[in-house]
Amino acid sequence: MTDAPAAPPGPSPELGAESAAERLARWQRAGGIVAPVMTAVLAFLVGGLVVLATGSNPLRVYQGIWNGTGLEWFSQVGSYRVGLPFSDAEVWFPWDPGSRAAENLQQTLLLTATLVLTGLAVAFAFRCGLFNIGGQGQYFAGAYFSIWIGSSFAGMSSLPHILLALVVAGLAGAVWAGIAGVLKATVGAHEVITTIMLNWVAYFTGLYLFGQGGPLQNEEQVFSPTSNEVVESARLPVFWGDPLLQGLHVGFFLALAALVVFWIVISRTTLGYQVRAVGFNPEAARYGGISVARNYFLAMAISGVFAGLAGAIDMLGWRFSIGFSDIQSSTIGFVGIAVALLGRNTALGVGLAALVFGALVNGTATRNIPPDVFPIPEQAGNLSLTIQALVLLFIGADILILYLWARTGRLLGFGRRAAR
Amino acid sequence: MTDGSTVLELRGITKQFPGVLANDRIDFDLRKGEVHALLGENGAGKSTLMNILYGLYQPDEGEILIGGRPVRIHSPREAIERGIGMVHQHFMLIPVMTVAENIVLASEPTKAGIVLDYAAARMRVEAIAAQFNFVIDPDARVESISVGQQQRVEILKALYRRADVLILDEPTAVLTPQEAEELFAILRSLVREGVSIIFISHKLNEVLQIADRITVLRRGRKIDTLPAAGATEEGLARLMVGREVLLRVDKAPATPGEALLEVEDLHVLDDRGLPAVRGVTFQVHAGEIVGIAGVDGNGQTELVEALTGLRPVEAGRFLIGGVDVTGAGTHRILDAGVGHIPEDRQRRGLVLEFTLAENLALHDFDKPPNARFGWLRPGRMVARARRILEEFDVRGGGPQTLAKALSGGNQQKVVVAREVSADPRLLVAAQPTRGLDVGAIEFVHRRLVEERDEGRAVLLVSLELDEIVSLADRILVMYEGEIVGEYAAGTSEQVLGIAMLGGTREEATAA
Amino acid sequence: MTASAEALARRAVTLGPARALGWGGVALGLLAFWLALPPATVRSPLVPLVVGGLGIAAGGWALRAGAGRRLGGSAVAVAALGLGLGLLATRSNVGSLEQVFVWSALIASTLRAATPLTFAALGGIFSERSGVVNIGLEGMLLMGAFFGFLGADKLGSWEWGILCGVAAGAGLAAIHAVISIHLRADQIVSGTAVNFLALGVTGYFFIEVYTDQGTPGDVSTIPAVSIPWIEDLGFVGPAIGRMHILIWVAIAFVVLAHFTLFRTSTGLRLRSVGEHPRAADTVGISVYGVRYAAVILSGALAGLGGVYLSNGITHSFNENLSAGRGFIALAAVIFGRWRPFGAFAACLLFGFSEALALRLPGAYGEDQAWTTLFRALPYVVTLVVVAGVVGRSIPPAADGKPYVKQ
Repeated sequence: MTDAPAAPPGPSPELGAESAAERLARWQRAGGIVAPVMTAVLAFLVGGLVVLATGSNPLRVYQGIWNGTGLEWFSQVGSYRVGLPFSDAEVWFPWDPGSRAAENLQQTLLLTATLVLTGLAVAFAFRCGLFNIGGQGQYFAGAYFSIWIGSSFAGMSSLPHILLALVVAGLAGAVWAGIAGVLKATVGAHEVITTIMLNWVAYFTGLYLFGQGGPLQNEEQVFSPTSNEVVESARLPVFWGDPLLQGLHVGFFLALAALVVFWIVISRTTLGYQVRAVGFNPEAARYGGISVARNYFLAMAISGVFAGLAGAIDMLGWRFSIGFSDIQSSTIGFVGIAVALLGRNTALGVGLAALVFGALVNGTATRNIPPDVFPIPEQAGNLSLTIQALVLLFIGADILILYLWARTGRLLGFGRRAAR
Repeated sequence: MTDGSTVLELRGITKQFPGVLANDRIDFDLRKGEVHALLGENGAGKSTLMNILYGLYQPDEGEILIGGRPVRIHSPREAIERGIGMVHQHFMLIPVMTVAENIVLASEPTKAGIVLDYAAARMRVEAIAAQFNFVIDPDARVESISVGQQQRVEILKALYRRADVLILDEPTAVLTPQEAEELFAILRSLVREGVSIIFISHKLNEVLQIADRITVLRRGRKIDTLPAAGATEEGLARLMVGREVLLRVDKAPATPGEALLEVEDLHVLDDRGLPAVRGVTFQVHAGEIVGIAGVDGNGQTELVEALTGLRPVEAGRFLIGGVDVTGAGTHRILDAGVGHIPEDRQRRGLVLEFTLAENLALHDFDKPPNARFGWLRPGRMVARARRILEEFDVRGGGPQTLAKALSGGNQQKVVVAREVSADPRLLVAAQPTRGLDVGAIEFVHRRLVEERDEGRAVLLVSLELDEIVSLADRILVMYEGEIVGEYAAGTSEQVLGIAMLGGTREEATAA
Repeated sequence: MTASAEALARRAVTLGPARALGWGGVALGLLAFWLALPPATVRSPLVPLVVGGLGIAAGGWALRAGAGRRLGGSAVAVAALGLGLGLLATRSNVGSLEQVFVWSALIASTLRAATPLTFAALGGIFSERSGVVNIGLEGMLLMGAFFGFLGADKLGSWEWGILCGVAAGAGLAAIHAVISIHLRADQIVSGTAVNFLALGVTGYFFIEVYTDQGTPGDVSTIPAVSIPWIEDLGFVGPAIGRMHILIWVAIAFVVLAHFTLFRTSTGLRLRSVGEHPRAADTVGISVYGVRYAAVILSGALAGLGGVYLSNGITHSFNENLSAGRGFIALAAVIFGRWRPFGAFAACLLFGFSEALALRLPGAYGEDQAWTTLFRALPYVVTLVVVAGVVGRSIPPAADGKPYVKQ
């Protein structure tokens, strides 16, 4: 009955000896919506300093990014007639669905949908106390399988074809994440290391599959390291914008549905109860008869489903093929980490954070940054990466944020009693 | 011996924690060569006061005087420099390092200023041990020596740093009566060498036995300081708790029925794969409390974990209500009618971030009324929790309160409530009163006896010998993974103490 | 004694052979691969099939006999891997196999690949021994690689490169230290954050400085040193007689790190902080001070590893050049049980798999698409090792736990 020396019982305020999950819960109660907003604001401020340090004007850079997001669309109110998607009916609408801003917004929402799913992939595991940084590999697994299904079976009718591709992609993600889950559950191998290794295995597998001479390489262009195109019947219908110019596809609704499913599973099912119990205190869960190993595996597999679906809606929705360069430059699975943590691993938070990062990633995309704002447009992507990193840093430094918040509150006169 | 001069004095010490006034204007003084006991319940503020003296906390108000001069102590290092040493309740020892390494840490003898001179360290440790008549192996790893010896290492650590004031925080909590006697002998010899000792405890008999003066704290306040000579247990108890307390548990003789737990030749391994429980056989019957006594680390934890499915059984079997459930897994064993009050409520008994309602559902979360077809029913879960919380008089929060917001006593009530309300046939209670105040202890004890009287079988595992003696109807003593003896209720602590150290039955009976 | 006690005693006896069987399975797996290589160069696919199959069987048997899931499972995994690689080897032609398996070149290549890992792993050991988990090794490696290259390029010598790279790694580590020690952040989140930061910052400056032209080829690189009496030794001479100076430094640091950790008072204090910070605090050791020093040192070491990666191995820089090596180093730390020599051995294993991954495709001709998969070998080997061995090793008791001063 040896006691862990670092954990004395009794009422002494042991703020530091808490698990990540405990910290999460405290953080969720302590600052409400304020702390994540402050985190994001602080990250953008410091990101601006980085821009300033390299000799550009941060205000103009952020203005350029903002213009690229399409979010100003909402401020351009007017009176328009809009055709309802998938029908001939027309209705009145306060915004112009065909403007330049609308096109940008479609792309922001396109990325938002994917980020919701990769964010949920991190968030679900996190609720079980696991840090899944393998979202990228699971995204690849889903993408590869959806490309395979989507570019085969050309004769199939549309709905079954799409459903088949989605289901297989989700399963592929589940299996890829499940490997890490099994290893964690049976031998206790740390999921951070195993998921990173699986990312790299997925990466090289992709280079093989779609590389020159690879089994899934494009049959017509033998010298191009890219996959076959997804056939028409497997493409997700576009309900806003031009299907050929990356309009917004129905995968967006899949992502919204995933948010609801996440919330229901976590807070309204016995599975969610077990996952949360294990996430907060695996020891107590085990003492209560809950199988920790089983939940580790399930949580990882479900996370993998989310990430696999993210890969699928990207492939079936607007990319339609995947090649060397896509694989090499893809970071959407990693952005999911920032999405989940900024969104505090809740459904609503992940949705909002995905919108923030979707806008950021789209706003910093090369084509959206005019060269007179940023001398080398490729830099904007690295700025976006830096801001993501800063968001994570400030999330880690929640004590600092909460302290700043408490100080501000006191300055404004509604804080607790002044310090002695 | 005491020459009357005051070596240190605390004046008007006040310390506030969020929501608790831990120390409220406390005065305290220590004379040269005396043992001054600091008596109080768990949570009375004893440890806080001493942590302030040792530089771990800063007081909000008040001052510390050493040798008549006011000082500020900002860190343990400064306390050490001023000759204050402390033996913490949870030892500040590094298990994977040797005795000598632990003792010299941060004041190491070195060669060329940097290379650790281990031979010199060992020699110095041996010299000090010899000076104070300690028997200790400097090369042993701390994790491999007994708790009593670890405590001596802690004392040596202070003496190595030339402490002339020694603070001991609940030093006997982990010792057998015999080991406690040895500790007292050591303390007396230290006093003869001119060391002054502050002895923190909540045990009345030992305070009377060792102390020259006694200061009683209650809820952060100093109640009185009085000489030990002439004080009585009853009087001290009244000062400590603020009301009359029953020092004995009131209970009728047991009327045992059928055997509800039958353990047959059970073998269990510990975390390192070494035998921890070695061929244990016993029964617990309906309507009796069987107590398992033993020194920490003699297989009690592994036995309890095996019986609740948390640890695999190597050989042998056990039956609950006549059904063999060996290797069935925690979930099925709990379903078979076992309630388990685990030994560390915060780590194992509760999910501190869950609400009380969720905690009360910890192993019925998937059964009605808490859930149906895999769907939680939060409304019913809360309604059920409200009933249970009322029945068990849990204070400080309702069903939606987070478990971490409750005091230790109320947290333990929640655990007891959950386990008892599931209507188990066998109740396994491991260290059920550790760290609780007298009121909560009384509650837990009363409840265990009530459950017994309702015909449940109760298996009580405790390191507190007086708890075992006052509650159990039969006492089993565990030593090195085996049951070395069975004793009737009311056996003296001396007899049990010898058995707990592996003494033979004859020795135990002779005592 | 009762029947079940006898059964227990019998088990205790059989447990020895079960473990032997497990290790035998591991050995058979390695043998299956080795037999197919020069100088043995067995050509029949039957041989690796039979030997590897026996290895798998031994592993499975060990599992059943109770050698433990990990040993048995590892034996099965290693034997399967050996069987697969052995089969592959029999399919290539002898000439190209002999080209790949020039053992002296393979050893030299192994040492080169292991060096960045070794520096990073030593850094990881110091950091974790002080109680701070350092997932950020990857980012620190990357910072070292870029700024080491930049320094050597702009300041004109590889020595300056080392200085810049070490400073960049240490700088990033300082951020990790502030966030995870003073602000008591979740150390894994904080480490992930600094990894992203390194990716963003090095990517930013890489494009800022070198635009899309890539890095120049005439930058001062880490020189090799010859040691005459080693160079003349028969088998090892060609392999290690003439090596980059940083490889020797890495080996020297392994010894030095071991000495510092286990033979000096500094090491004793560092370990005490990682095991039981409160105990260290109560005897007057500054827990935060020790942790800051250890984390920043770990960043400096990982940065040095990064410098060797860019200035010693690739002679160029690319975005995300570190490619997961920081995480492999982390696995080496755990595999080596937080000890310098153990971690070094693990780094050699991972370095060997990287050397193989680079050279094996050559045995099958450049046009074979599937040989791309060999590049995943280091990551697969790390996975197998993490799964097989790592779960069992016990970290410093306070590793990953923030410490609150009272």
